[in-house]
Amino acid sequence: MSAEESGQGPGMKFFVAVWIGLMCIVGIEVIITYRHLPARDLLVWLLLLAFLEAAIAVWYFMHLKYERAALVWSLLPAFIFVVFMMDHVWPDAFRLATMRLLSQ
Amino acid sequence: MSEAEMTAGHHAGMMEESPYAIPSGKLAMWCFVLSDAVTFSAVLFVYGYLRIGSTNWSTPFQLVPSVLNGIVMTFVLLTSGLTMLAAVEAAKAGRTAAGTRWLWATCALGALFAGMHLMEWRHMYEEGWRLFQNPLGGSVHFGAAFFSITGLHLLHVLGGVIALAIIALGFPSGKYNRIDVEITGIYWHFVDLVWMFVFPLVYLMNAK
Amino acid sequence: MSEATAHSAVHVHAPPSGFIRKYVFSVDHKVIGLQYYGLGLVAVVIGMILSWLMRLHLGWSTLAIPGLEKLSPAGAPGNVMTPEYYLSLMTMHGTIMVFFVLTNAPFSGFGNYFLPIQVGAADMAFPRMNMMSFWVTLTAFLVLVAAFFVPGGPPLSGWTAYAPLSAVGAEAGPGQGLGQTLWGVSIAIFCVGQLLGSLNFIATTLDLRTKGMSLARLPFSTWAWFITSVIGLLAFAVLLPACILLVLDRAAGTSFFIPGGLVISDRLQPHTGGSPLLWQHLFWFFGHPEVYIAILPAIGIVSHILPAFMRKPLLGPRVLISCMAAIGFLSYMVWGHHMFVSGMNPFSALLFSVPTLVITIPATIATLLWIGSVYGARIRFTTASLFCLGFISVFISGGISGFFLAQPSIDTYLHATYFVVAHFHFVMGVAAIFAIFAGTYFWMPKMVGRMMNETLGKIHFWLTFVGVYCIFMPMHYLGLAGNVRRYAAFTDDYLVPLIPVHQFITIAALITGAAQLIFLYNLVWSRFRGPKATDNPWQATSLEWSTTSPPPFDNFGGRQLVVNHEAYEYGVESPEGDYIMQTAPETAKAH
Repeated sequence: MSAEESGQGPGMKFFVAVWIGLMCIVGIEVIITYRHLPARDLLVWLLLLAFLEAAIAVWYFMHLKYERAALVWSLLPAFIFVVFMMDHVWPDAFRLATMRLLSQ
Repeated sequence: MSEAEMTAGHHAGMMEESPYAIPSGKLAMWCFVLSDAVTFSAVLFVYGYLRIGSTNWSTPFQLVPSVLNGIVMTFVLLTSGLTMLAAVEAAKAGRTAAGTRWLWATCALGALFAGMHLMEWRHMYEEGWRLFQNPLGGSVHFGAAFFSITGLHLLHVLGGVIALAIIALGFPSGKYNRIDVEITGIYWHFVDLVWMFVFPLVYLMNAK
Repeated sequence: MSEATAHSAVHVHAPPSGFIRKYVFSVDHKVIGLQYYGLGLVAVVIGMILSWLMRLHLGWSTLAIPGLEKLSPAGAPGNVMTPEYYLSLMTMHGTIMVFFVLTNAPFSGFGNYFLPIQVGAADMAFPRMNMMSFWVTLTAFLVLVAAFFVPGGPPLSGWTAYAPLSAVGAEAGPGQGLGQTLWGVSIAIFCVGQLLGSLNFIATTLDLRTKGMSLARLPFSTWAWFITSVIGLLAFAVLLPACILLVLDRAAGTSFFIPGGLVISDRLQPHTGGSPLLWQHLFWFFGHPEVYIAILPAIGIVSHILPAFMRKPLLGPRVLISCMAAIGFLSYMVWGHHMFVSGMNPFSALLFSVPTLVITIPATIATLLWIGSVYGARIRFTTASLFCLGFISVFISGGISGFFLAQPSIDTYLHATYFVVAHFHFVMGVAAIFAIFAGTYFWMPKMVGRMMNETLGKIHFWLTFVGVYCIFMPMHYLGLAGNVRRYAAFTDDYLVPLIPVHQFITIAALITGAAQLIFLYNLVWSRFRGPKATDNPWQATSLEWSTTSPPPFDNFGGRQLVVNHEAYEYGVESPEGDYIMQTAPETAKAH
């Protein structure tokens, strides 16, 4: 991909469409919030939708789609790996709820 | 001037090509965004940890005014992302005046977001919410998590508003160029991106 | 010059004029590198003095140390250290050494000076941000040192600042008031400085390499600085919010890390619901990559220097670089090995232990590459090469104890004993310091244009090498005997017989410390009176030796270098001798 192409993107019409799409996702998030799902299910859905929004924002708004693949493969796996490693803390969070001495 | 000419450098052919073929400032901003994303992730993990670990979490946000306010703030921030894109497109096409106008529009929307946020904080403060206090008697970590997460985000918004103003002031005269506008855009979109997680996790997950 | 800001061109700025612009607020990476190194020098002297005070107290716990009461009337009444003040000195020793010496000198110091030169650039990618990163780091240092002089004195929670001790405030003990808050603020500021530095290193390494300097031709030191920057970018990003939350707990009444029901000094703490374990997770998520941030530049520097004195390239250069990258990657998977006995999920111990054992593999491969390279080589024994060989020795000594600590079953016994103290001092407090020494003796001629005295250097090396083994080897025995760490004095039945060992260690520490005066004297004397250095006194190949000693303000006098050779072509026949410089014409082929 030549440097000429990278950094160029589609026009504003496309970005307005993306913007509408993002607003729709926000709307869906609000709607499912009021469906009275159990908290854990709501969390899963909201996280999925949030990651979808984020992916769209990074790919189109931040123009990562139009950059070299090398940049994508450098940034995204690093971030995903680090955040995945942080997941080690969850067992201790659950234990905290069940092992409290005082009700707080 | 094309991107190719801008990345080639004065001494064309006298330097090794970067594996990413983007200006250094842009690469640095991407690295900064990566690092800041990890920072926000850590803070959100702390929130999740304390929430999962608590037995008396409060979910105080009514549809009116809190969730609705959050929806409007989300709309404002998303729109500011669109105006930012318009600024970058105009800058790339060499339309300096239009680019400057869109930059100011983004700056204004960002300031509006910040203003709405501060008003919301004031509203919660009046209801008795503090970093360490829950007027509903539930977990004190609600306030701690809410104010620290939104506070960190607000700091980034304010930083972005200032940066946008500085760029907007210098862009017409050529002090800053379209690459600088793009770099600011990456930062601003990142601020928006963080909000895409803060809004559902902090507002919607705490809706009544 | 608006184009210059737009892209990755060499930043050509006019030479600075005036004392302030040249030596104080300088954007020249060489000056900034020396400023970082100077900061590291001041920090290591303070850190070492703190260690002497600690060691004196450990050997002779009722000793009156002259002048101590002046420093802290409450901490040392009658010049005898209280147990609390011992812990305060220990906290500051660890914090200063880990952050302002080990993260600073081999990375920010040498890295700032030599990374642009080794890639063939005229400066870093962002010179002004570079200047800012130094002043931010210096601010962090001053904020930290201020803790010595505030009411209550410095904190006593260790460099690890475990909650709730570090989070509840002044009630927890002397130094836990303003001192601990200053600690938290200082480290948060330090994180910002490191982040800015990392951005510069990454951009410079990727974007400012001169023609012919492919990534494969980069010296090991540059690779190490680059990989370290990436690690730092992601690790300091977690320490920063952790410190902010800690300060919020202390100053804003939050309870992120403070559980409910805590009674301190007969007072029920007003905090509730937090988790001390959460602090440990956040801290060590940063803390483990941090120790690799401390050692990787050292590995890079030693790997860079050794070939010049073996007159042959290192075995398996690509493998070595992969090992450095692997260590960086794995460093994010192992942090729980600091928490085996913390009360965390017991099954997590397995998930942390396995990668910890795996991370020994690239470290061992690197060691074997060094040993294999040194074997059969006709070594030129200079102080720099001696410190490199010494590095290999202490890296092995320190690394082997890591194998034991990686296993939860053994660590249950050894955690918080002197065995751990021995381990991390060998790898960080000795190996990384040896690399700093090696780098100093190797690069001082280039940086100041004068050779250091070799005789004094060799005396310095041997005294230090024997000395550190005398100090830290016995600590393994102490740990196995059950000697708990972070105790100010040993009064329990099972500890009293070990006091003579501590006294031996203290004497060794004082002698070794005194030996460092030889180094300091050498440093200062050589700066002003040393024999003038040529451009390439070691007959080395990398780009720093293609320019004058010291280099001109734009590193290469306006020349744009062209690189035609790998980084370590030694042991070959060429017009220059037995080596080919990276900038030699392409026709100078290796035989």
